[in-house]
Amino acid sequence: MNSPVKIWRNQKHIAHMLGREGTIVSWTIIRLPPSGFSNLAPYPVVIVDLSDSRITAQLVDWSEEDLTEGRRVKIVVRRISEPTTEGIIPYGIKVKPI
Amino acid sequence: MVGIVSYGTYIPQYRIKLADIASAWKKDPQEVVGSLGIEEKSVPGTDEDAVSIALEAALQSLTAFRGKPTDIEALFVGSESHPYAVNPTSTIVGELLGAGHNYLAADLEFACKAGTAGMQAIAGLIAAGQVRVGLAIGADTAQSKPHDALEYTSAAAGVAYVLGKERILAKLLAYTSFSSDTPDFWRRDGIRYPSHAGRFTGEPAYFAHVVGAATRLLVQTHMKPGDFDYCVFHMPNGKFPRDVARRLGFSKEQLSASLTVDYIGNPYAASSMLGLASVLDIARAGEKIFMVSYGSGAGSDAFIWETTSELPRVVEIRKKRSELVTQQIIKKRYVDYVGYLKQTHKI
Amino acid sequence: MHIYISGAATTKFGELWGVSPRQLAGEAVSKALKNAGTDSRRIEALFVGNMLSGILGGQEHLGAFFAEELGIRAPACKIEGACASGGLALHNAVNSVLSGQYNTVVVLGVEKMTDHKPEDVATALMGAGSEEERAAGATFPGLYAILACAHMKAYGTTREELAAVAVKNHYHASLNPNAQFHTRLTIDQVMKSSRIADPLRLLDCSPISDGASAIVVTSKKSTRGIIVAASCVATDSLGLARRKSLTELAATKEAGKKAYAIAGVAPRDIDAAEVHDCFTIAEILAMEDLGFFPKGKAAGAIAAGETSLGTSGRLIVNPSGGLKGCGHPVGATGVKQVVEIVEQLRGRAGARQADHAKVGLAHNVGGSGATAVVHILKK
Repeated sequence: MNSPVKIWRNQKHIAHMLGREGTIVSWTIIRLPPSGFSNLAPYPVVIVDLSDSRITAQLVDWSEEDLTEGRRVKIVVRRISEPTTEGIIPYGIKVKPI
Repeated sequence: MVGIVSYGTYIPQYRIKLADIASAWKKDPQEVVGSLGIEEKSVPGTDEDAVSIALEAALQSLTAFRGKPTDIEALFVGSESHPYAVNPTSTIVGELLGAGHNYLAADLEFACKAGTAGMQAIAGLIAAGQVRVGLAIGADTAQSKPHDALEYTSAAAGVAYVLGKERILAKLLAYTSFSSDTPDFWRRDGIRYPSHAGRFTGEPAYFAHVVGAATRLLVQTHMKPGDFDYCVFHMPNGKFPRDVARRLGFSKEQLSASLTVDYIGNPYAASSMLGLASVLDIARAGEKIFMVSYGSGAGSDAFIWETTSELPRVVEIRKKRSELVTQQIIKKRYVDYVGYLKQTHKI
Repeated sequence: MHIYISGAATTKFGELWGVSPRQLAGEAVSKALKNAGTDSRRIEALFVGNMLSGILGGQEHLGAFFAEELGIRAPACKIEGACASGGLALHNAVNSVLSGQYNTVVVLGVEKMTDHKPEDVATALMGAGSEEERAAGATFPGLYAILACAHMKAYGTTREELAAVAVKNHYHASLNPNAQFHTRLTIDQVMKSSRIADPLRLLDCSPISDGASAIVVTSKKSTRGIIVAASCVATDSLGLARRKSLTELAATKEAGKKAYAIAGVAPRDIDAAEVHDCFTIAEILAMEDLGFFPKGKAAGAIAAGETSLGTSGRLIVNPSGGLKGCGHPVGATGVKQVVEIVEQLRGRAGARQADHAKVGLAHNVGGSGATAVVHILKK
């Protein structure tokens, strides 16, 4: 998602989600990351229940004990992946244990 | 009367012990820790930067704020680690906060006093009646060259102050600024790590400007150190703020609540702003705070604050959400030197 | 009107460095045409199943590309549904004959994955998921790992039981000359292989492969023709976050139910099944979702050999070796699965022949379960 136009269109969605809280439903720890994510690996990808909907997001500032069903998390904004040298920086939604 | 309406602070969770940095370079850990007066410093997550940290602090500052994000009519972010040389941090933060479009946004740079410069500029706009509410942020993921002296102190944090005229928790009684061209610490455009002039960063730089601004403000207001309950100075290490407080005639007791450097190092543009927040978190109504920042290059911004009865409500909200500076300081996990290098993008 | 498969063939699957997509397609189609006793002049349409040619190689417009390559100057198009591209191509071919517009058509599933770096292939495969999943840094194994995690929590499925799927399918593959792998595996080897996305290990995951398979679909009855008794598709949410349940693939259940009803058979009537084991957990889910075992019971049954050649009482699952053992050239898989069932029903499966195979099922999934295609074939 490194198109400046797509990033711009997505801002309202991020602003709307920021700060919302939910609970972890299921998870994995990615050990072999896709391109652009190697600096963050290994990291958990979790499904989060937000009362009215669910999202899939990366879990940050985590430890193994946080990977349990029902663990409370909140939505934060971080860099999604490593930006290229000259390209726009992709900020997006992740979740962090409360 | 202009003042602080609410505030937010964000310290990333990660810490590295100075002893671990010293060991990596085969230096004596005791010697390093002893000379700097700091045990550990904060480290940003790999995916954190001045933008995401500024945003966290700003979000927090709005939880106790009784207005809406669209009330913000000025938004300044001061940092020396803005991710873009051209493209404002302030509008990314403003957009994601939901500030709307009707605000003046600007990014400031002035080493460690970029954030406090924003506070003074916004205070002026409010006093002039041009703006009713403004948000001044200082945020940094400070960089330093491996094996350089700065590696032991350069840290990360963000602090945001909502400034206004109504329901203020701390009145801004007076302020001044002291500037000169003093090349003690700099970073060229496009270059990754800052350079510094060694011991020149002491007397002619830090001390001259902090003392210069402090003295001028005390003279202007006809006040003396004994009139204050607390003092806050920029904290590049554990020694300088203690030294300058003593020289100006402030006591250890007046200074102690502000010394966040002892626990998390120097988060540059957020340093003195975090020291102030740390004092606000424990102050009672009707107490006076003397604050002086310092930015290399060089300059110092000096402030006199007086807390009001609005303060306890805001502190209580921060405490319930575990956002007090002391609560954030103890919420930590350690990384080793390799983890530190990865998270600060050196490897 | 009945729909028949008159010819079916596959190339070897594997890391075929020296073989181009054109050669793969040429081999599969010419063998299938010969198998059907016909030639390219009789073919009235071409349906190509492929996912990655555009993303990785910059080549789209595969209908025209392969029509020219194969000398089939007929209506042609590419059908894409991630890993269900092959099954969907067949579904569309069947519909085209059912409509009466064409009598005899060819389905080609083809994929060339080894020309590119594994990281680029992994990123391209995430095109099968949602934008939100890509932004989270998920990988395809990661999505199925999330499903495995949920299944293990709900039913106590163990990593040993996951590994048993890979062991079974490698055993079957060792009997299949066209399979990518001929090495047998042990549970221990699978469990100790490198970590990919917890709890899945390297050997829980199907490989990156090249290959092509082709089928001739016709309305003309013949003695060797196998009847397509049902061709059904179902769609679920693109990403895992919007699924109603993380312990089943609802699209599989729905496509399966429709197919059983149309074909007039029940799960117990199936003698041989090729199911979509892109990861070991996927086969366990498929066994439950297709009604072969009750919820939570499939893992144990597979581990006990109830679906393996030589030990099964009735149903043989993935006699070709499945995606894990035979290989998974994405667009080809859905077609290869049906080729295998055709061979089983014709009694031509050699060492991996299921006894008395009269009714077979092929199950092809796109992404983490957004698309499911079920074909039921009868002798």
